[in-house]
Amino acid sequence: MYSSMIQTDGDIIITQKGISDTFFSNVDRDLLEKIESIEEVHSTYAMIVGASPVAQLPIVGIYGTTKNHFSHYKLQKGFYPQEKEVILGTNISTQAQGEFLKIANKRFKVSGVFESGIGFEEGGVVMNIEDASELFNKSSSFIIVSATSPNSIEILKDKLAKLDSQIEVKTTKHFVDEYNQFKIIENSSLLISFLAFVMGLMGVASVMSMIVTSRKQEFGIMRALGKSRYFIMKNLFLETMLLSLSAYTFALVLSLAFLEILPSIEMLQGYVSGTISINIALYVLISSLIMALIGALLPSWIASKTDPVLLINQGCS
Amino acid sequence: MIRLNKISHSYGDEQVLYDISLDVNQGELVFLSGESGSGKSTLLSIMSTLLESDKGEVVLCGETLDSIQNINLFRQKKIGFVFQFHYLIEYLNVYENLELAALEEKKKNIIPLLEGLGILDFLKRYPNQLSGGQRQRVALARALVNDPEIIFADEPTGSLDSTNSQIVYELFHEVAKKNTTVVIASHDMQVAEFADKTIRLIDGKIS
Repeated sequence: MYSSMIQTDGDIIITQKGISDTFFSNVDRDLLEKIESIEEVHSTYAMIVGASPVAQLPIVGIYGTTKNHFSHYKLQKGFYPQEKEVILGTNISTQAQGEFLKIANKRFKVSGVFESGIGFEEGGVVMNIEDASELFNKSSSFIIVSATSPNSIEILKDKLAKLDSQIEVKTTKHFVDEYNQFKIIENSSLLISFLAFVMGLMGVASVMSMIVTSRKQEFGIMRALGKSRYFIMKNLFLETMLLSLSAYTFALVLSLAFLEILPSIEMLQGYVSGTISINIALYVLISSLIMALIGALLPSWIASKTDPVLLINQGCS
Repeated sequence: MIRLNKISHSYGDEQVLYDISLDVNQGELVFLSGESGSGKSTLLSIMSTLLESDKGEVVLCGETLDSIQNINLFRQKKIGFVFQFHYLIEYLNVYENLELAALEEKKKNIIPLLEGLGILDFLKRYPNQLSGGQRQRVALARALVNDPEIIFADEPTGSLDSTNSQIVYELFHEVAKKNTTVVIASHDMQVAEFADKTIRLIDGKIS
Protein backbone atom coordinates (compact mmCIF):
# COMPACT_ATOMS: atom_id res chain seq x y z
CA MET A 1 0.00 0.00 0.00
CA TYR A 2 0.89 3.67 -0.21
CA SER A 3 1.72 3.69 3.49
CA SER A 4 4.28 0.89 2.99
CA MET A 5 5.76 2.84 0.10
CA ILE A 6 6.25 5.97 2.23
CA GLN A 7 7.59 4.13 5.25
CA THR A 8 9.97 1.83 3.38
CA ASP A 9 12.84 4.15 2.61
CA GLY A 10 12.79 7.01 5.06
CA ASP A 11 12.36 8.28 8.57
CA ILE A 12 11.03 11.76 7.82
CA ILE A 13 8.63 13.15 5.22
CA ILE A 14 8.45 16.78 4.17
CA THR A 15 5.21 18.01 2.60
CA GLN A 16 3.69 21.38 1.81
CA LYS A 17 2.32 23.04 4.93
CA GLY A 18 -1.45 22.93 5.40
CA ILE A 19 -2.04 20.35 2.64
CA SER A 20 -3.52 17.12 3.91
CA ASP A 21 -3.06 15.02 0.78
CA THR A 22 0.30 14.41 -0.87
CA PHE A 23 -1.44 14.51 -4.27
CA PHE A 24 -1.94 18.26 -3.79
CA SER A 25 1.34 18.97 -2.02
CA ASN A 26 4.09 20.93 -3.76
CA VAL A 27 7.50 21.12 -2.14
CA ASP A 28 10.43 22.90 -3.74
CA ARG A 29 12.98 20.21 -4.50
CA ASP A 30 15.80 22.74 -4.41
CA LEU A 31 15.60 22.06 -0.69
CA LEU A 32 17.37 18.75 -1.34
CA GLU A 33 20.75 20.47 -1.48
CA LYS A 34 20.25 22.16 1.89
CA ILE A 35 18.94 18.94 3.40
CA GLU A 36 21.92 16.89 2.23
CA SER A 37 24.24 19.32 3.98
CA ILE A 38 22.74 18.59 7.41
CA GLU A 39 24.97 16.39 9.56
CA GLU A 40 22.23 13.93 10.70
CA VAL A 41 21.08 13.18 7.14
CA HIS A 42 21.98 9.81 5.72
CA SER A 43 20.11 10.12 2.43
CA THR A 44 17.23 11.98 0.86
CA TYR A 45 15.10 11.92 -2.25
CA ALA A 46 12.14 13.77 -3.70
CA MET A 47 9.09 12.26 -5.30
CA ILE A 48 6.06 13.31 -7.27
CA VAL A 49 2.98 11.18 -6.84
CA GLY A 50 0.24 11.51 -9.40
CA ALA A 51 -2.28 9.55 -11.38
CA SER A 52 -3.10 9.53 -15.06
CA PRO A 53 -4.62 7.33 -17.78
CA VAL A 54 -1.92 5.10 -19.20
CA ALA A 55 -2.45 3.25 -22.48
CA GLN A 56 -5.92 1.64 -22.23
CA LEU A 57 -5.97 1.77 -18.41
CA PRO A 58 -8.21 4.55 -17.05
CA ILE A 59 -6.08 5.43 -14.02
CA VAL A 60 -2.57 4.45 -13.03
CA GLY A 61 -0.22 5.69 -10.32
CA ILE A 62 2.70 7.74 -11.66
CA TYR A 63 5.82 8.09 -9.54
CA GLY A 64 8.44 10.61 -10.49
CA THR A 65 11.55 10.30 -8.38
CA THR A 66 15.08 11.58 -8.14
CA LYS A 67 17.69 9.26 -9.64
CA ASN A 68 19.17 8.28 -6.27
CA HIS A 69 15.92 6.52 -5.42
CA PHE A 70 15.88 4.28 -8.49
CA SER A 71 17.79 1.55 -6.67
CA HIS A 72 14.65 1.01 -4.60
CA TYR A 73 13.05 -0.44 -7.73
CA LYS A 74 14.61 -3.81 -8.49
CA LEU A 75 14.87 -4.19 -12.25
CA GLN A 76 13.52 -7.41 -13.69
CA LYS A 77 14.60 -6.36 -17.13
CA GLY A 78 15.84 -3.28 -18.98
CA PHE A 79 17.41 -0.12 -17.58
CA TYR A 80 16.50 2.69 -15.22
CA PRO A 81 14.73 5.51 -17.08
CA GLN A 82 16.48 8.41 -18.72
CA GLU A 83 14.70 11.53 -19.95
CA LYS A 84 11.25 10.69 -21.48
CA GLU A 85 11.57 7.10 -20.37
CA VAL A 86 9.63 5.06 -17.81
CA ILE A 87 9.89 1.73 -16.06
CA LEU A 88 6.74 -0.28 -15.39
CA GLY A 89 5.75 -2.18 -12.28
CA THR A 90 5.42 -5.95 -12.75
CA ASN A 91 1.65 -5.87 -12.34
CA ILE A 92 1.02 -3.21 -14.94
CA SER A 93 3.66 -4.47 -17.37
CA THR A 94 1.37 -7.32 -18.46
CA GLN A 95 -1.42 -4.87 -19.32
CA ALA A 96 0.47 -1.94 -20.78
CA GLN A 97 2.61 -3.59 -23.42
CA GLY A 98 4.65 -2.01 -26.20
CA GLU A 99 7.83 -0.06 -26.59
CA PHE A 100 6.17 3.32 -26.04
CA LEU A 101 3.43 4.53 -23.71
CA LYS A 102 1.19 7.56 -23.91
CA ILE A 103 0.79 9.26 -20.56
CA ALA A 104 -1.33 12.44 -20.41
CA ASN A 105 -0.76 13.04 -24.12
CA LYS A 106 2.99 12.67 -23.78
CA ARG A 107 4.97 9.79 -25.26
CA PHE A 108 7.41 7.84 -23.10
CA LYS A 109 9.70 4.99 -23.98
CA VAL A 110 9.47 1.90 -21.75
CA SER A 111 13.02 1.23 -20.59
CA GLY A 112 12.38 -1.62 -18.15
CA VAL A 113 10.20 -3.51 -15.69
CA PHE A 114 10.67 -3.42 -11.91
CA GLU A 115 9.47 -5.03 -8.75
CA SER A 116 9.53 -3.45 -5.31
CA GLY A 117 7.44 -5.81 -3.21
CA ILE A 118 4.84 -3.07 -2.71
CA GLY A 119 1.66 -3.73 -4.67
CA PHE A 120 0.82 -0.02 -4.86
CA GLU A 121 4.08 0.69 -6.69
CA GLU A 122 4.06 -2.44 -8.81
CA GLY A 123 0.76 -1.36 -10.29
CA GLY A 124 2.30 1.97 -11.36
CA VAL A 125 4.83 3.71 -13.60
CA VAL A 126 8.14 5.23 -12.45
CA MET A 127 9.92 8.06 -14.25
CA ASN A 128 12.45 10.81 -13.63
CA ILE A 129 11.17 13.55 -11.39
CA GLU A 130 11.89 16.16 -14.05
CA ASP A 131 9.47 14.47 -16.47
CA ALA A 132 6.87 14.05 -13.74
CA SER A 133 7.34 17.69 -12.82
CA GLU A 134 6.39 18.64 -16.36
CA LEU A 135 3.38 16.31 -16.32
CA PHE A 136 1.93 17.45 -13.03
CA ASN A 137 3.26 20.99 -12.95
CA LYS A 138 4.90 20.80 -9.55
CA SER A 139 8.42 20.60 -8.12
CA SER A 140 7.82 17.55 -5.87
CA SER A 141 4.98 16.07 -3.84
CA PHE A 142 7.20 15.31 -0.89
CA ILE A 143 10.75 14.78 0.18
CA ILE A 144 11.81 11.74 2.14
CA VAL A 145 14.79 11.94 4.48
CA SER A 146 16.68 9.11 6.20
CA ALA A 147 18.55 9.87 9.41
CA THR A 148 22.01 8.57 10.23
CA SER A 149 20.61 6.87 13.33
CA PRO A 150 17.22 6.45 15.00
CA ASN A 151 18.42 8.65 17.88
CA SER A 152 18.97 11.61 15.58
CA ILE A 153 15.50 11.63 14.00
CA GLU A 154 14.00 14.18 16.40
CA ILE A 155 16.98 16.56 16.13
CA LEU A 156 16.92 16.24 12.35
CA LYS A 157 13.19 16.92 12.28
CA ASP A 158 13.70 20.20 14.12
CA LYS A 159 16.52 21.24 11.82
CA LEU A 160 14.46 20.47 8.70
CA ALA A 161 11.47 22.41 9.97
CA LYS A 162 13.65 25.52 10.16
CA LEU A 163 14.64 25.30 6.47
CA ASP A 164 11.38 26.68 5.08
CA SER A 165 8.27 28.14 6.64
CA GLN A 166 6.10 26.60 3.86
CA ILE A 167 6.90 22.98 4.72
CA GLU A 168 5.60 20.51 7.24
CA VAL A 169 8.01 17.94 8.70
CA LYS A 170 6.83 14.69 10.22
CA THR A 171 8.25 11.26 10.88
CA THR A 172 6.97 8.87 8.23
CA LYS A 173 5.40 6.75 10.97
CA HIS A 174 3.53 9.74 12.38
CA PHE A 175 2.51 10.82 8.88
CA VAL A 176 1.08 7.40 8.02
CA ASP A 177 -0.73 7.19 11.35
CA GLU A 178 -2.26 10.64 10.85
CA TYR A 179 -2.97 10.54 7.14
CA ASN A 180 -6.71 10.85 6.73
CA GLN A 181 -7.04 8.64 3.68
CA PHE A 182 -5.08 5.88 5.36
CA LYS A 183 -7.32 6.27 8.37
CA ILE A 184 -10.47 6.08 6.26
CA ILE A 185 -9.21 3.07 4.32
CA GLU A 186 -7.94 1.36 7.44
CA ASN A 187 -11.08 2.04 9.45
CA SER A 188 -13.34 1.00 6.57
CA SER A 189 -11.34 -2.19 6.11
CA LEU A 190 -11.46 -2.86 9.83
CA LEU A 191 -15.21 -2.26 9.93
CA ILE A 192 -15.87 -4.53 6.94
CA SER A 193 -13.55 -7.19 8.37
CA PHE A 194 -15.22 -6.89 11.76
CA LEU A 195 -18.71 -7.21 10.26
CA ALA A 196 -17.62 -10.18 8.15
CA PHE A 197 -16.00 -11.68 11.21
CA VAL A 198 -19.11 -11.21 13.37
CA MET A 199 -21.29 -12.68 10.59
CA GLY A 200 -18.86 -15.57 10.38
CA LEU A 201 -19.04 -16.11 14.13
CA MET A 202 -22.83 -16.03 14.04
CA GLY A 203 -22.65 -18.55 11.21
CA VAL A 204 -20.38 -20.80 13.27
CA ALA A 205 -22.75 -20.60 16.25
CA SER A 206 -25.84 -21.26 14.06
CA VAL A 207 -24.27 -24.20 12.26
CA MET A 208 -23.17 -25.78 15.52
CA SER A 209 -26.57 -25.07 17.02
CA MET A 210 -28.31 -26.73 14.04
CA ILE A 211 -26.00 -29.73 14.21
CA VAL A 212 -26.68 -30.19 17.90
CA THR A 213 -30.43 -29.61 17.55
CA SER A 214 -30.60 -32.24 14.81
CA ARG A 215 -28.97 -34.69 17.22
CA LYS A 216 -31.49 -34.27 20.03
CA GLN A 217 -32.86 -37.76 19.39
CA GLU A 218 -29.38 -39.20 19.78
CA PHE A 219 -28.99 -37.42 23.12
CA GLY A 220 -32.39 -38.77 24.19
CA ILE A 221 -31.29 -42.31 23.31
CA MET A 222 -28.03 -41.86 25.18
CA ARG A 223 -29.88 -40.59 28.23
CA ALA A 224 -32.24 -43.57 28.00
CA LEU A 225 -29.19 -45.83 27.91
CA GLY A 226 -28.03 -44.27 31.16
CA LYS A 227 -25.40 -41.89 29.82
CA SER A 228 -24.99 -38.85 32.04
CA ARG A 229 -25.38 -35.22 30.96
CA TYR A 230 -21.67 -34.83 31.69
CA PHE A 231 -20.82 -37.68 29.29
CA ILE A 232 -22.91 -36.12 26.51
CA MET A 233 -21.59 -32.58 27.08
CA LYS A 234 -17.97 -33.80 27.28
CA ASN A 235 -18.25 -35.69 24.01
CA LEU A 236 -19.93 -32.76 22.35
CA PHE A 237 -17.23 -30.43 23.64
CA LEU A 238 -14.50 -32.62 22.17
CA GLU A 239 -16.34 -32.98 18.85
CA THR A 240 -16.87 -29.22 18.65
CA MET A 241 -13.22 -28.50 19.36
CA LEU A 242 -12.06 -30.99 16.75
CA LEU A 243 -14.52 -29.72 14.16
CA SER A 244 -13.71 -26.06 14.84
CA LEU A 245 -9.95 -26.60 14.79
CA SER A 246 -10.17 -28.51 11.50
CA ALA A 247 -12.37 -25.79 9.97
CA TYR A 248 -10.07 -23.07 11.31
CA THR A 249 -6.94 -24.73 9.88
CA PHE A 250 -8.64 -25.16 6.51
CA ALA A 251 -9.86 -21.54 6.49
CA LEU A 252 -6.43 -20.22 7.52
CA VAL A 253 -4.62 -22.15 4.79
CA LEU A 254 -7.22 -21.01 2.26
CA SER A 255 -6.90 -17.37 3.38
CA LEU A 256 -3.09 -17.45 3.27
CA ALA A 257 -3.20 -18.96 -0.21
CA PHE A 258 -5.68 -16.29 -1.31
CA LEU A 259 -3.54 -13.50 0.10
CA GLU A 260 -0.56 -14.98 -1.71
CA ILE A 261 -2.25 -14.83 -5.12
CA LEU A 262 -4.09 -11.55 -4.47
CA PRO A 263 -1.27 -9.23 -5.66
CA SER A 264 -0.97 -11.14 -8.93
CA ILE A 265 -4.66 -10.79 -9.88
CA GLU A 266 -4.49 -8.57 -12.97
CA MET A 267 -7.80 -6.83 -12.39
CA LEU A 268 -6.61 -5.46 -9.02
CA GLN A 269 -3.37 -4.11 -10.49
CA GLY A 270 -1.57 -5.03 -7.27
CA TYR A 271 -3.37 -2.39 -5.22
CA VAL A 272 -5.04 -4.89 -2.93
CA SER A 273 -2.96 -6.92 -0.53
CA GLY A 274 -3.15 -8.10 3.05
CA THR A 275 -1.49 -10.06 5.81
CA ILE A 276 -2.66 -12.16 8.74
CA SER A 277 -0.72 -11.41 11.89
CA ILE A 278 -0.24 -13.99 14.63
CA ASN A 279 -2.38 -11.86 16.94
CA ILE A 280 -5.25 -11.76 14.46
CA ALA A 281 -4.95 -15.49 13.79
CA LEU A 282 -5.09 -16.21 17.52
CA TYR A 283 -7.98 -13.80 18.05
CA VAL A 284 -9.98 -15.45 15.27
CA LEU A 285 -9.16 -18.91 16.61
CA ILE A 286 -10.24 -18.11 20.16
CA SER A 287 -13.40 -16.25 19.07
CA SER A 288 -14.40 -19.06 16.71
CA LEU A 289 -13.90 -21.69 19.39
CA ILE A 290 -15.94 -19.70 21.90
CA MET A 291 -18.80 -19.14 19.43
CA ALA A 292 -18.73 -22.79 18.32
CA LEU A 293 -18.89 -23.89 21.94
CA ILE A 294 -21.75 -21.49 22.70
CA GLY A 295 -23.58 -22.72 19.59
CA ALA A 296 -23.04 -26.36 20.51
CA LEU A 297 -23.24 -26.42 24.27
CA LEU A 298 -26.22 -24.11 24.79
CA PRO A 299 -28.78 -26.28 22.96
CA SER A 300 -27.21 -29.44 24.36
CA TRP A 301 -27.45 -28.01 27.89
CA ILE A 302 -31.12 -27.20 27.29
CA ALA A 303 -31.57 -30.72 25.88
CA SER A 304 -29.89 -32.19 28.94
CA LYS A 305 -32.64 -30.64 31.08
CA THR A 306 -35.39 -32.23 28.96
CA ASP A 307 -36.98 -35.63 29.61
CA PRO A 308 -35.26 -38.24 27.39
CA VAL A 309 -38.51 -39.44 25.85
CA LEU A 310 -39.36 -35.90 24.72
CA LEU A 311 -35.93 -35.63 23.07
CA ILE A 312 -36.47 -38.95 21.31
CA ASN A 313 -39.92 -37.90 20.10
CA GLN A 314 -38.67 -34.44 19.00
CA GLY A 315 -36.16 -36.24 16.84
CA CYS A 316 -38.98 -38.15 15.16
CA SER A 317 -41.01 -35.08 14.28
CA MET B 1 -40.76 -55.02 40.87
CA ILE B 2 -42.80 -52.12 39.45
CA ARG B 3 -45.46 -50.24 41.39
CA LEU B 4 -47.37 -47.23 40.10
CA ASN B 5 -49.49 -45.30 42.53
CA LYS B 6 -52.07 -42.82 41.18
CA ILE B 7 -50.07 -41.63 38.19
CA SER B 8 -51.54 -38.70 36.24
CA HIS B 9 -49.98 -36.83 33.36
CA SER B 10 -50.88 -34.04 30.95
CA TYR B 11 -49.31 -32.54 27.85
CA GLY B 12 -50.25 -28.91 28.24
CA ASP B 13 -54.02 -28.77 28.75
CA GLU B 14 -54.55 -32.29 27.48
CA GLN B 15 -54.64 -34.89 30.24
CA VAL B 16 -53.49 -38.27 28.94
CA LEU B 17 -53.32 -40.38 32.12
CA TYR B 18 -55.76 -40.47 35.04
CA ASP B 19 -54.80 -41.94 38.43
CA ILE B 20 -53.13 -45.07 37.12
CA SER B 21 -52.13 -47.63 39.76
CA LEU B 22 -50.66 -51.04 38.99
CA ASP B 23 -48.18 -53.67 40.15
CA VAL B 24 -45.85 -55.82 38.08
CA ASN B 25 -44.00 -58.75 39.62
CA GLN B 26 -40.48 -59.91 38.89
CA GLY B 27 -40.17 -62.14 35.82
CA GLU B 28 -43.60 -61.23 34.48
CA LEU B 29 -44.17 -60.37 30.84
CA VAL B 30 -46.76 -57.62 30.89
CA PHE B 31 -48.63 -56.49 27.81
CA LEU B 32 -49.73 -52.87 27.93
CA SER B 33 -52.38 -52.68 25.25
CA GLY B 34 -54.56 -49.92 23.88
CA GLU B 35 -55.44 -47.97 20.81
CA SER B 36 -53.24 -45.26 19.45
CA GLY B 37 -53.56 -42.22 21.76
CA SER B 38 -54.75 -44.28 24.73
CA GLY B 39 -51.72 -43.21 26.77
CA LYS B 40 -49.80 -46.49 26.80
CA SER B 41 -46.52 -45.01 25.49
CA THR B 42 -46.75 -42.18 28.02
CA LEU B 43 -47.37 -44.66 30.81
CA LEU B 44 -44.42 -46.78 29.66
CA SER B 45 -42.17 -43.70 29.55
CA ILE B 46 -43.19 -42.75 33.10
CA MET B 47 -42.69 -46.33 34.38
CA SER B 48 -39.26 -46.46 32.77
CA THR B 49 -38.02 -43.09 34.22
CA LEU B 50 -37.84 -41.45 30.78
CA LEU B 51 -40.65 -39.04 31.62
CA GLU B 52 -41.53 -37.40 34.90
CA SER B 53 -45.21 -37.70 35.80
CA ASP B 54 -47.24 -34.71 36.97
CA LYS B 55 -48.69 -36.62 39.91
CA GLY B 56 -48.26 -39.97 41.62
CA GLU B 57 -45.46 -42.26 42.68
CA VAL B 58 -43.27 -44.70 40.74
CA VAL B 59 -41.48 -47.48 42.60
CA LEU B 60 -38.92 -49.54 40.67
CA CYS B 61 -36.94 -52.43 42.17
CA GLY B 62 -38.09 -51.33 45.61
CA GLU B 63 -36.95 -47.70 45.24
CA THR B 64 -39.11 -44.65 44.66
CA LEU B 65 -37.82 -42.44 41.84
CA ASP B 66 -37.32 -39.53 44.25
CA SER B 67 -34.97 -41.61 46.40
CA ILE B 68 -32.69 -42.68 43.55
CA GLN B 69 -29.44 -40.74 43.82
CA ASN B 70 -28.07 -41.35 40.32
CA ILE B 71 -30.89 -41.91 37.86
CA ASN B 72 -28.48 -42.42 34.92
CA LEU B 73 -26.61 -45.22 36.66
CA PHE B 74 -29.91 -46.70 37.83
CA ARG B 75 -31.17 -46.76 34.24
CA GLN B 76 -27.96 -48.24 32.94
CA LYS B 77 -27.81 -50.99 35.59
CA LYS B 78 -31.43 -51.96 36.03
CA ILE B 79 -33.40 -50.99 32.91
CA GLY B 80 -33.20 -51.98 29.25
CA PHE B 81 -35.12 -50.21 26.49
CA VAL B 82 -36.35 -51.35 23.11
CA PHE B 83 -38.00 -48.74 20.93
CA GLN B 84 -40.23 -48.99 17.88
CA PHE B 85 -37.62 -47.71 15.44
CA HIS B 86 -34.69 -49.49 17.14
CA TYR B 87 -32.97 -46.11 17.68
CA LEU B 88 -29.46 -47.41 17.21
CA ILE B 89 -26.79 -44.74 16.82
CA GLU B 90 -26.29 -44.59 13.08
CA TYR B 91 -22.58 -43.73 13.07
CA LEU B 92 -21.66 -46.62 15.40
CA ASN B 93 -21.42 -50.22 14.25
CA VAL B 94 -23.28 -53.05 15.99
CA TYR B 95 -20.50 -53.76 18.46
CA GLU B 96 -20.00 -50.07 19.26
CA ASN B 97 -23.73 -49.57 19.81
CA LEU B 98 -23.68 -52.27 22.45
CA GLU B 99 -20.40 -51.04 23.87
CA LEU B 100 -21.87 -47.55 24.31
CA ALA B 101 -24.68 -48.95 26.45
CA ALA B 102 -22.61 -51.49 28.39
CA LEU B 103 -21.23 -50.99 31.86
CA GLU B 104 -17.49 -51.67 31.96
CA GLU B 105 -17.91 -55.00 33.76
CA LYS B 106 -20.67 -56.09 31.37
CA LYS B 107 -18.78 -55.62 28.10
CA LYS B 108 -17.93 -59.32 28.19
CA ASN B 109 -21.65 -59.99 27.55
CA ILE B 110 -21.61 -58.40 24.10
CA ILE B 111 -20.28 -61.30 22.00
CA PRO B 112 -22.30 -64.08 23.70
CA LEU B 113 -25.44 -61.94 23.41
CA LEU B 114 -24.97 -61.29 19.70
CA GLU B 115 -24.22 -64.96 19.19
CA GLY B 116 -27.35 -65.96 21.11
CA LEU B 117 -29.48 -63.64 18.99
CA GLY B 118 -27.92 -64.93 15.77
CA ILE B 119 -26.38 -61.62 14.73
CA LEU B 120 -22.70 -62.14 15.55
CA ASP B 121 -21.83 -61.99 11.85
CA PHE B 122 -23.07 -58.38 11.75
CA LEU B 123 -20.66 -57.19 14.43
CA LYS B 124 -18.94 -54.63 12.23
CA ARG B 125 -21.99 -53.56 10.27
CA TYR B 126 -23.68 -50.22 10.67
CA PRO B 127 -27.44 -49.95 11.34
CA ASN B 128 -28.19 -48.90 7.76
CA GLN B 129 -26.57 -52.13 6.56
CA LEU B 130 -29.05 -54.28 8.51
CA SER B 131 -32.64 -55.37 7.83
CA GLY B 132 -35.46 -54.21 10.12
CA GLY B 133 -35.54 -57.52 11.98
CA GLN B 134 -31.75 -57.54 12.43
CA ARG B 135 -31.79 -54.00 13.76
CA GLN B 136 -34.46 -54.84 16.28
CA ARG B 137 -32.44 -57.85 17.44
CA VAL B 138 -29.43 -55.56 17.91
CA ALA B 139 -31.68 -53.19 19.88
CA LEU B 140 -32.76 -56.11 22.05
CA ALA B 141 -29.12 -57.13 22.56
CA ARG B 142 -28.36 -53.56 23.61
CA ALA B 143 -31.25 -53.65 26.08
CA LEU B 144 -29.95 -56.90 27.57
CA VAL B 145 -26.24 -56.14 27.68
CA ASN B 146 -26.19 -55.01 31.33
CA ASP B 147 -28.37 -57.91 32.58
CA PRO B 148 -31.18 -55.50 33.53
CA GLU B 149 -33.95 -56.37 35.97
CA ILE B 150 -36.63 -54.80 33.77
CA ILE B 151 -37.00 -54.38 30.01
CA PHE B 152 -39.38 -51.80 28.60
CA ALA B 153 -40.39 -52.07 24.96
CA ASP B 154 -42.49 -49.50 23.18
CA GLU B 155 -44.10 -50.89 19.99
CA PRO B 156 -41.03 -53.10 19.46
CA THR B 157 -42.46 -54.69 16.33
CA GLY B 158 -44.10 -51.58 14.93
CA SER B 159 -41.74 -51.53 11.95
CA LEU B 160 -41.53 -55.33 11.42
CA ASP B 161 -43.50 -57.87 9.39
CA SER B 162 -45.44 -60.62 11.18
CA THR B 163 -42.65 -63.22 10.86
CA ASN B 164 -40.06 -60.95 12.40
CA SER B 165 -42.58 -59.77 15.00
CA GLN B 166 -43.12 -63.39 16.07
CA ILE B 167 -39.36 -63.90 16.42
CA VAL B 168 -39.00 -60.75 18.53
CA TYR B 169 -41.90 -61.73 20.84
CA GLU B 170 -40.38 -65.17 21.31
CA LEU B 171 -37.12 -63.53 22.29
CA PHE B 172 -38.91 -61.37 24.87
CA HIS B 173 -40.62 -64.50 26.16
CA GLU B 174 -37.23 -66.20 26.56
CA VAL B 175 -35.94 -63.17 28.45
CA ALA B 176 -38.93 -63.17 30.82
CA LYS B 177 -38.41 -66.89 31.50
CA LYS B 178 -34.94 -66.00 32.81
CA ASN B 179 -36.63 -63.89 35.53
CA THR B 180 -36.30 -60.51 33.84
CA THR B 181 -39.45 -58.41 34.01
CA VAL B 182 -40.66 -57.33 30.56
CA VAL B 183 -43.23 -54.64 29.85
CA ILE B 184 -44.34 -54.28 26.24
CA ALA B 185 -46.56 -51.43 25.07
CA SER B 186 -48.17 -52.32 21.77
CA HIS B 187 -51.39 -52.20 19.84
CA ASP B 188 -50.51 -55.61 18.34
CA MET B 189 -52.71 -58.21 20.05
CA GLN B 190 -50.20 -60.93 19.07
CA VAL B 191 -48.28 -60.04 22.26
CA ALA B 192 -51.14 -61.38 24.37
CA GLU B 193 -50.13 -64.94 23.35
CA PHE B 194 -46.87 -64.55 25.28
CA ALA B 195 -47.97 -62.23 28.10
CA ASP B 196 -48.48 -63.24 31.74
CA LYS B 197 -50.63 -60.19 32.29
CA THR B 198 -52.43 -57.77 29.97
CA ILE B 199 -53.27 -54.22 31.04
CA ARG B 200 -55.62 -52.42 28.71
CA LEU B 201 -55.71 -48.65 28.56
CA ILE B 202 -58.66 -46.72 27.21
CA ASP B 203 -58.46 -42.91 27.15
CA GLY B 204 -55.79 -42.78 29.84
CA LYS B 205 -57.52 -45.14 32.25
CA ILE B 206 -57.13 -48.84 32.97
CA SER B 207 -60.19 -50.62 31.72
